[in-house]
Amino acid sequence: MLARYVVRRVVASIPVVFGVTLITFGLLHATSGAFVPGLELNPNLRPEDIIRIRNNLGLNDPLPVQYWHWISGLLHGDFGRSLVDGSPVLRHISDRLPNTIELTITAILLGILISIPLGVVGALRRGSVIDNFFTFLSVAGVSIPSFWLALLLILLFSVSFHAWGLPWLPSGGAESAFGGGDPIDRITHLILPATCLAFVYIAIWSRFTRSSMLEVLSQDYVRTARAKGMSERRVTYLHALRNSLVPLVTLIGLELPGLVSGGAIIEIVFSWPGVGRLALERALQYDYTMVLGLTTFVALLVVVGNLLADVIYALLDPRIRYA
Amino acid sequence: MSRDQAPGEEGYRKFEDFLKHWSRRDFMKNISIGAAYTAFLAGGVEFMEACANAGSGNGPSVAAKKGGHLTQGSISDIKSMNPVLQSDTASAEVIGLLYDSLMNTTASGELRPLLAKELPKTSSDGLTYTITLRDNIKWTDGSPITADDVKFTYDLMFDPQYKAVNSPRRGDLETYVQSITVKDAKTVVFQLKKVYAPFAVNQLQYGILPKKVWGSLSPTDVNTTDLNTAPTVTSGIFKFQKWDKGQQVTLTRNDSYWQGAPYLDTFIYKVVADGVAIGNQLKTGEIDMGQIDPAVLADVQGNPDLQIVNFPVAIFTFYAYNQNATAKVAQMFSDKAVRQALLYAIDRQGMADSLYFKQAVVATSSMPPVSWAYNKDAKPQYPHDVAKANSMLDAAGWTKGADGIRAKGGQKLSFTMITNAGNKVRENSLVAMQDAWKQIGVDATPKLITFPQLVAQITNDRSYDVFLVGFSWQADPDQSALWHSRNTAAGGFNGFGYKSSNMDKILDDAVATLDQSKRKQLYFQMQDILNDEVPAPILVFNKGIWGMTKRVQGVTGGDFGLGTYTQFQNKAWMKSAFVADGK
Repeated sequence: MLARYVVRRVVASIPVVFGVTLITFGLLHATSGAFVPGLELNPNLRPEDIIRIRNNLGLNDPLPVQYWHWISGLLHGDFGRSLVDGSPVLRHISDRLPNTIELTITAILLGILISIPLGVVGALRRGSVIDNFFTFLSVAGVSIPSFWLALLLILLFSVSFHAWGLPWLPSGGAESAFGGGDPIDRITHLILPATCLAFVYIAIWSRFTRSSMLEVLSQDYVRTARAKGMSERRVTYLHALRNSLVPLVTLIGLELPGLVSGGAIIEIVFSWPGVGRLALERALQYDYTMVLGLTTFVALLVVVGNLLADVIYALLDPRIRYA
Repeated sequence: MSRDQAPGEEGYRKFEDFLKHWSRRDFMKNISIGAAYTAFLAGGVEFMEACANAGSGNGPSVAAKKGGHLTQGSISDIKSMNPVLQSDTASAEVIGLLYDSLMNTTASGELRPLLAKELPKTSSDGLTYTITLRDNIKWTDGSPITADDVKFTYDLMFDPQYKAVNSPRRGDLETYVQSITVKDAKTVVFQLKKVYAPFAVNQLQYGILPKKVWGSLSPTDVNTTDLNTAPTVTSGIFKFQKWDKGQQVTLTRNDSYWQGAPYLDTFIYKVVADGVAIGNQLKTGEIDMGQIDPAVLADVQGNPDLQIVNFPVAIFTFYAYNQNATAKVAQMFSDKAVRQALLYAIDRQGMADSLYFKQAVVATSSMPPVSWAYNKDAKPQYPHDVAKANSMLDAAGWTKGADGIRAKGGQKLSFTMITNAGNKVRENSLVAMQDAWKQIGVDATPKLITFPQLVAQITNDRSYDVFLVGFSWQADPDQSALWHSRNTAAGGFNGFGYKSSNMDKILDDAVATLDQSKRKQLYFQMQDILNDEVPAPILVFNKGIWGMTKRVQGVTGGDFGLGTYTQFQNKAWMKSAFVADGK
C-alpha cells in the first residue's frame, strides 16, 4: 500500500520538477536578456568577439535547443560548469553542502527540541504568564530580522565578551583559521549561527505546536480518552501530542530545501562556508550556470522534502489514505 | 596597458574576467591588476584598494621573532593558484607568495629585480630585453629555476601552441612580444615588436611555473589540473598546505627560499563575509590583518588591540565635462574659463574631510602622488575660491539672468551630472557640487543611474553632460587610457572627448622611450597641461586603510611596505613580518 502511494507521489513529482527547470531556465533568460548581462557593454570586446563568444556558449541557438542541451546534461547528472571559474557546479555544491547541512540540521534539531515543549506547555497553560511570555518570544522571533539578530549576537558574545575578557564565541567561519578543525572548535563556531537560525524555527514551530495541540485537546477522542479514565499524562502525550504533531511534520518537511538555502543570510553574516553563501556570491558575479544549477538542485530538494513529509504524514495519521 | 589594444584571441577569457568584474567587490578588487577596461570603479569598497607606502607605521621596534602564524582576512576567496590563469586580486595575493616573478615593483612603482639578478638589460633600440636569473634560486624540490622555466611560463600565456590555455595575458603579450629565447640556463631574451616603456612593469611580474611539473600537461589540462588548486612545486616565500574552499588558504614557511625563510611559520588567507566582519574579527583576534572599510573605521580606530595604517592609493575620483562635438553642452564646456571656474568653486578639502571621512587627499595633478612621475608643482592649482570663480565667469561673458543662472548668448549654464546609484560618497559629492555651483550661478542637477549604465554612458553613449566616477591606475605612469585622443573612439575611456595633438604626442613619446628621466619630464608636462586645460578635473585621491592586531610587526615602512603596487604582485613585506608573541 505504502509503496504504491510513494510511487504515485514520485510520478506526480516528475512534471513538477520539469516545470521548475523550465521556469528557472526561462526566468534566468528573461532577466539576463543577452544571457549574460553586460556582454554588449564590455568596452574591450569587439562586435565579432561578442558574436564568437555567443556562438561558443551556444547562445545563438534557439531557446528550446539551448534548453534541451541543458536538460539532457541534467538527466545525466551534469549540472554544468561555473561561468566564473570553469569548475563543475556539482563539485562546488559537494564542497559546501556538508557545512550547510551541519548548520541547518543543528538548527532544526535545536528548533524541534525547544519548540515542541514550549508549544505543549503553552497549550496546557493557556493564558498563563508563561504562555504569554512564550507568545512574546515567538512574536519577537518572527519579527526580528535574522541578520540583525546575528549581528547583535556577534557584537555581544564575540566582540564585547572578548573585550571584557570573558570566554567568547567566534564571530565567523566554520572553524578557527589556525589550529582549528577539531570537534570542540567546530561546535564553538556552530553555536552562534545555529542559535540564530533556530530562533526563527522555534518561534514558528512553537506557535504551531501550541495551536495544533489546543485544537486536538478539544477533539472528541480526547474527551473519550479522558472519559475512559485514562491518566491526564497519557491523554496529553500519547493521544494529543502525537496527533498535534502531524501538521508540524509537513512544516518541518518543507524546511528540507532550507537545509540548503534557508540559512543563506546567516551563512553570509557568519562567513559560513555553505551553499547559501555560494549562491549569493555567484548570483552577484552573474555566474548564470551556477545559479541555474543551484536553483534546480534546491528545487529537487523541495520536491523530495514534500514527498518525505507526505510519507511521514501518512504514517502518523491513519486517516490519510494511501490511495 | 590601455584598452586600445585589441583583445586578440582571448575574447572568451576576457569575457569571463569581465563577468567576474561585475561582482561589485571583485569588480573593484580586480582593477589594479586586471585589464584596463575595468579601470572605472563602481566605488564603495574602492577605498579598500590598498595602498601606498606607509610613511610611518610599526617599524621593527621589537627584535624580530621566529615562528607563529599570521591570518589575513579577505572578503573574496581565491579562484586559482595558477599565475598563468589568475585574473583576480585575491588569487594574485596568494600566488605572489607561492611563485616568485622575474620583477617586482616598489611602493613608488619602480621596477625591482626578484628572480632576475638585475633590471632587464635593454638594447639601444629598446626592443630587446635580456634578463639574467639569480644563481641561488630554486624550486621547493631543490632543483634550480632556469630560463627554460621562464620561457615555458610565457609560452603558456601566449604561444600559439597553447591557445587552449585560458590565459588572460594573451592579448597583451601578442601585442608586444615578438619572441622569447633561452640564451643559456640563466639567461632569457624578450624580443619586442615595438618600444613600449610600460612593458617591464606590466608584463614581467607574472609568477614563473616549473616546466618539469607542468610541461607534460596538454593545453586544456592546464585549465583544469589539480595543480591549480593544490600546487606541488613552487618557488615563493611560502609553500602550499591546503585550500578549504570558501574558508581559507593555508601556507607554510619555505625554508629553501632564496631570500631566506620568513619569520612566520604559517600564513593563512581567510575568507571573511564583509568589511563589518573584518572589523569584528580583528577585534577578537580571529584575523590579524585586513583592509578596513571606511564605514567601520571609526569603530575600530580607538581599539587598544589594533593598529590602523592608512596610505594614499593610485585611485582617484574625478568628474568630466562632455566636450564631444555631438554633446549639447559641448559649446559651454569648450570654454576653458567655465571648466576652470567650476573647479575653483568646489571645496575639495571639505569634501575629503566630510564625505571621505578624511580618507582622501585633494588631488593636485592627475598622477598618483605615490608615482615617481608625480609632479607636485603642477600648475595651476585650484584652491577653493568662490570669488575667483565668479570673476572668471564674469570676465568670460557669462552673466547672471533674472533667475540667478548665468548665461551667454542665450545658452544657460545649466546641466545634469550623473554617477552610479548606491555609492553614497559619490551621490553626496554630486550634491556638494550642485550646492557649490549654485552659489556661482550655475544650475547643475544630480542624476543617479546604475553602474553598467554609467560605464556605457562614458564609453559609448556619451549623451551625458557631466559624469563623476573613480579610476584606478597601474604602476606605470602611462595615462593614455584617459587623455589620448584615440581613446575617444567608441569603447574608449576618453569618453569626455578631450582631444589635443600636443597631449597625444607627449603620451606617445613617453611610452616610446625607456629613458626614465625623459619620461618623467614628459609626464610633468602632461600634468601641467592637464592642470591648465582641466578637461576632467580630479577631485581627490583615495586612501587605503589597513587594520592589524598589535602582535603583527615588521609589516609597514620602507620601500617594500604595504603598497599600491607591491601588495598584489609579491608581498615583499612578508620577509620582515613577524608576530610578537611567536604563536
